[in-house]
Amino acid sequence: MNEATTGPILTTDGIPLKVSLQKSERKNKIRAFLLVVPLLFFILFTFLIPIGDMLLRSVDDSYINTVFPKTFEKYKKWDRQGLPSEELYETMFFEIKEGSGYSIGKATTRMNYAKSGWKSLLKKSKRKFKKIEEGPYKEQMIAFDKRWANMEYWKAIGVMVDPTTAGYYLNAIDLKYNADKEIIRQKENRRIYNKTWIKTFKVSFLVMFFCLILGYPISYLLATLPLKYSNLLMICVLLPFWTSLLVRTVAWMIMLQQKGVFNNLLVMSHIISNENRFALMYNQTATVIVMTQILLPFMVLPLYSVMKTISPNYMRAALNLGASPLHAFYKVYMPNSIPGVSAGCMLVFILAIGYYITPELVGGKDGQMIGNWIAYHLKTTLNWGLSAALGAILLGVLTVLYWVYNKLVGIENIKLG
Amino acid sequence: MLKLIKATFLGLIAMAFTASSYADITFVSWGGAYTASQQKAYVDTYISLNPDTKITVESYNGGLGEIKAQVEAGNVTWDVVDVLPDQAITGCDEGLFEKVDQSSFINDMVVAPVSDCVVPQIFWAYTAFYSKSAFPGKKPKNIKDFFNVEKFPGKRGIHTWGNALIEMALVADGVKAKNVYEVMNTPEGIDRAFAKLDTIKDHVVFWSAGSKPLELVSSGEVVMAIAYNGRIGAAILSEGKDFEYIWDATVLEQEYLVAIKGGKNTAEALDFMAHSSTAIANAEQAKYIPYGPMRKSSIAIIKKGEPWFIKYGGDIDVMPHMPTHPKVLKRAIIADPVWWADNGAEVNERYGVWKGN
Repeated sequence: MNEATTGPILTTDGIPLKVSLQKSERKNKIRAFLLVVPLLFFILFTFLIPIGDMLLRSVDDSYINTVFPKTFEKYKKWDRQGLPSEELYETMFFEIKEGSGYSIGKATTRMNYAKSGWKSLLKKSKRKFKKIEEGPYKEQMIAFDKRWANMEYWKAIGVMVDPTTAGYYLNAIDLKYNADKEIIRQKENRRIYNKTWIKTFKVSFLVMFFCLILGYPISYLLATLPLKYSNLLMICVLLPFWTSLLVRTVAWMIMLQQKGVFNNLLVMSHIISNENRFALMYNQTATVIVMTQILLPFMVLPLYSVMKTISPNYMRAALNLGASPLHAFYKVYMPNSIPGVSAGCMLVFILAIGYYITPELVGGKDGQMIGNWIAYHLKTTLNWGLSAALGAILLGVLTVLYWVYNKLVGIENIKLG
Repeated sequence: MLKLIKATFLGLIAMAFTASSYADITFVSWGGAYTASQQKAYVDTYISLNPDTKITVESYNGGLGEIKAQVEAGNVTWDVVDVLPDQAITGCDEGLFEKVDQSSFINDMVVAPVSDCVVPQIFWAYTAFYSKSAFPGKKPKNIKDFFNVEKFPGKRGIHTWGNALIEMALVADGVKAKNVYEVMNTPEGIDRAFAKLDTIKDHVVFWSAGSKPLELVSSGEVVMAIAYNGRIGAAILSEGKDFEYIWDATVLEQEYLVAIKGGKNTAEALDFMAHSSTAIANAEQAKYIPYGPMRKSSIAIIKKGEPWFIKYGGDIDVMPHMPTHPKVLKRAIIADPVWWADNGAEVNERYGVWKGN
């Protein structure tokens, strides 16, 4: 045996081949990495960081603890039987009096989530306390506003004394902490979120289902018709897709309302009487109908692109071998189209579950979804913690669904074309 | 050719820089006919006095969410925003808005300003109305009729949130307008309001966009609805609709301008706000939309100047369409932003439950 086969293989300039190869590959790797760096940054800043921030906000309750640190410290020792002692009143008094206006202002917003009324009580107190020079403070505070003697307000502080909290998540599923941090159910007339969650999933599922029922035949036609006709059909699918969401939503309002086109036609043709017009608008039915129409292209396009790749020869072969058309379709065509069905269903379901503007406009009585409540708390009540918790639950549920789907069907079976 | 492109490009960049040396105020309001009236009464008049200033007008959908996000992120792109009173309170408390000099109007207001950060705009109102053609015989006269589906059968259009409806339901149930918030401060009071709302529950169509109640009444989808009074007025005055107001238990809401803290043009923004809150400017706005100025002297200017409303083919008296008309005020409720800032979230969640059941 000669040296060349026992020792490392050398290149012409004497460097081991392995090292030389690695070196040139490293260059390529760096180049490839640099190409994706912008994308990585984009994902980091527009996706990962905001989601991380959302998750943090959904459990973060530290701000209020920086405004009333001493009060909360003393509060933990309170036995919750009868009103707190003068000492606790005094601590709170000074933290309100000496706290900066803006930090008290922000604190009032937070405290109002725990008990409606804290907001005006603290604001009034902040103004009034400037004039109170000496104790005893308890009596003066109660004399100034009798809410200071209301146990409900004091008990409500109990849910805020920890810098991290699961309280927002509890609120998001109609539960809450009581003063002793035990989990109890929300007051009956405020239990809105569980119902809304169920409704959100129900509506999204129905929309996905109807999109599939309507989209499958269209996609089949698109994929099998001669190009001349299928192009025209494709334009029919894409035109509404390119039309503004609002225009389409408003058009549906005109179509479906009680004195609208659809009901008028039915009354004119004596199918229903004038008094028994269908209530198809401003309820859940409306949300499902309008969202189905709006999301249909998201079902048709992936289905079409998958069906286009299924050779017509398969069906011909099956028929030739004696299968009935139905059997051939069921055994040959459908299994081949499953990747498209998966992709379409996932796409439509995920888009539907976060829908906001359409339910807002046509949902009326019972067609609003969880997105509408997230927006309400983001914009109106500024309860970002609750918004974040609702959003995080939505994210969690989608992740679980994705995982289940992966187990059942396999993610590699998704095809967009 | 390449040189030419380069030169143009550099020129454009230079232009962008020179342009940005002028003040460019971003004024954010609710859009539609309301913003159009502000454009004419405030923006156009300001520009004619200050030709160097540029004002970009944008629309938003209310709420403090975007403003808070801008301030927290340290990237404030809005300068002046038109806000509701409870937002004016919260935003000022939390330090999102600049404090303003209120000495020029503080003694000229119908109600005291809700915070130190605001300048006055207008009163608008939740008002019940109907189409005359829907009731050829007896016509609904008060809010009790609105809640009486036996006397006046047919559907009612109401909004998808609880503000003003609680107040109206209580008045319909016999509470005096001036005692409404006293009753609302008790849990039984809220129960009572919801019980009253229950009586029309099966006869209700919900709307969320301000133009919708007018369409609902026009098309006969509902026989009566609650809407923003300015929209009803605009439909009557500009489109000649046969709508009739039910000036009872009208719920008046205040509307203010604020300057966002940390904006790039704060000085100009405050100057624009001062311009937009003068008595004459507030009165000017009523030429284009029948909302009631918050300054007493503006109302005096309008009364003197009638016919005030500018209409194609002849001007028209605007006072009968104002929610601040003395006759209306007598039976109206001025919404209490402090009550709603305290209880809004809780009541609206309950309203959501009520609506969906």
